[in-house]
Amino acid sequence: MARADSLAKLAWAYGVHLARRRLRRPRSQLADLLNTYAPDGIRAIDPAVRERHPRLVNCINCGLCALAAGRIGKSRLPDLASSYMRLYARLGEASTDVAGDDPDFAAASAVCPVGLPLAEVATVVRRMTMR
Amino acid sequence: MTAPSAYDVVVIGGGVTGAGVARDLSLRGLSVLLLEKGDWGAGTSGASSWMIHGGPRYLEYDWDTTRLSCIDAGHIVTIARNLVYRVVFIIPVLPHDRNNIERMETAMEVYDRFQPLKKAHPHRRLTGDEARQAEPGLSPDVIAAVTMEEWGVDPHRLVYANVEDAVAHGARALNHTRVTELIRDGGKVIGVRYRTPDGAFSEARARVVVNATGPWSPEVGAMAGVDIELRRAKGIHIVYPHRISNFSISAESIDGRDLLMVSHAGFTLLGTTDDDFYGDLDSVEVLDDEVDYLLQGFERVFPAIRSYRPVRTTTGVRPTLFKWRRYEDELSRRYEVIDHSPRGADGLITIAGGKLSMYRLMAEETSDAVCRKLGLQGESTTASRPLPGNESDPEPVAALAARCDVPALAVLKLQSRHGSNAEKVLDEGHTSRILCRCEPVTEAELVYAARHEQVRTLADAFRRVGVAAGPCAGAACILRASEVVGRELGWSATQRLDAAREFVRGAWLGRAPVLGHTGWAQEELTQGAMRGLMASDGAR
Repeated sequence: MARADSLAKLAWAYGVHLARRRLRRPRSQLADLLNTYAPDGIRAIDPAVRERHPRLVNCINCGLCALAAGRIGKSRLPDLASSYMRLYARLGEASTDVAGDDPDFAAASAVCPVGLPLAEVATVVRRMTMR
Repeated sequence: MTAPSAYDVVVIGGGVTGAGVARDLSLRGLSVLLLEKGDWGAGTSGASSWMIHGGPRYLEYDWDTTRLSCIDAGHIVTIARNLVYRVVFIIPVLPHDRNNIERMETAMEVYDRFQPLKKAHPHRRLTGDEARQAEPGLSPDVIAAVTMEEWGVDPHRLVYANVEDAVAHGARALNHTRVTELIRDGGKVIGVRYRTPDGAFSEARARVVVNATGPWSPEVGAMAGVDIELRRAKGIHIVYPHRISNFSISAESIDGRDLLMVSHAGFTLLGTTDDDFYGDLDSVEVLDDEVDYLLQGFERVFPAIRSYRPVRTTTGVRPTLFKWRRYEDELSRRYEVIDHSPRGADGLITIAGGKLSMYRLMAEETSDAVCRKLGLQGESTTASRPLPGNESDPEPVAALAARCDVPALAVLKLQSRHGSNAEKVLDEGHTSRILCRCEPVTEAELVYAARHEQVRTLADAFRRVGVAAGPCAGAACILRASEVVGRELGWSATQRLDAAREFVRGAWLGRAPVLGHTGWAQEELTQGAMRGLMASDGAR
């Protein structure tokens, strides 16, 4: 009975929806969407980052880059890749963690067993913390 | 055997419902004993999709379930502010999908009527190009999309917050304590016999025994000679140790089921399956086929999904109410409070069915049934009374980070678990050392968990504070975690190594089904490191 009642109500709603679509001119709702959720850190990802993203999050936290090149700001390099680079929605509140001089990213990437482009990771993380 | 103790109520089952019942009854002034055979939330609750959601899927079957679920979700979001965060779905539509965009938007328009109940925003409709602007990883085949908002939650912390509050109001709560027998006097259940973690047996007498054991309910019912019929259904998730997208995404499986990729704070869950389950509830395995089923369905809308490295899988069994001749997906998520008096087991009440999003309401109605049985008038206060850590606003992240000399990210994560109690937790261990760097977790938090949160094993620590939950899967931190927990619990050096081995072995069972090329490489590295550090023949 509940199923029949539910389907009947959905069918009615469908008719109302179709009628409304005919009468109203559709407008883009993308800006509304992004504005609504920006305070929660839910934002569109840059297409270039999206393309590279699977490689940027491949860190296994073996720690070798820390031995090769030390820290970025107050953070160890493995933390940058394994912890900060996880698209935390609220990363803006942690911007002070990664502020400071760059270490030798080339040396760090050279020893990484999964070939992480650490300079690129640092750029993306810093961009996320700036929001 | 120690002398029996006496309570108003014994609650069996430390999932979210059992913990909720214990909290509700304790707040009403009853004496409660809560028993859990494993760890808090380690069964069905922890294997969920980590969401407090209203269930738009149920609109096809039963609007009342959606309404009740949304109302209770609204209460949970209010009392557990620190544990919840918004999860926004893009629901893409492809040519030949079961539902076209007009049908999908109709469903969302109906769902919008319920969204204010849980403090969520209404849906948006996007063209295919707009959907790809919001999430560039979506397939070029996507022709349109709608959005839908739900709430994410850490179910392990939600369960523990209920346990903690129950204890704060006088309940006794024991994990790793298995009920071996229901004590009966003629046709009445008058208590339980249980085995504690050290192997000792004890008894507790109670005026009412609540069976809140989810899929294990039939086994507990059988101890009192009553039949409880459930339609148990297995579900799995693939876990990625990073947020793949800021938006969560839905997809359609090969058999037309809805799949979800849920973006949580720092990780992603991809699931879920829904299959009738007849096996051993204490040994539920993830099959390669189930993993392929999820990936196949998902790569239609998000082609890069196979490029990401999963870190493990989770699996659990839903305690769905019994119904013959229905597909698993069509089964109601309704619940039932069963008083077994008419079936010769007076004093035993079972709560069966339901879902995480309605746990508080299920607990309230179960507690109402207990009070009726005891002739008491007490009213539930759990809809408005904050859970621990939510009584006041937390300190600003930057200020707490600077004062305690820990990274701001660690404070963010700590507050997401402990809310306004974060400072108290940081003070506990007298150290600002970061123990698990992936999450990150401070040593102080683990010390606090071992001292005050009933952590008895490293798997308990994983659930309580998220240690070893990140991309390294414990390779970098589990031995240190074992040292810290062992120091607090008085483990010997051998016990500490054994605990780490046991954790790695358990984690392996969940990892094996999702190890791709890079996963195997990581596994070799981890196992090699573990072999060296543990001076053993490996952890597999």
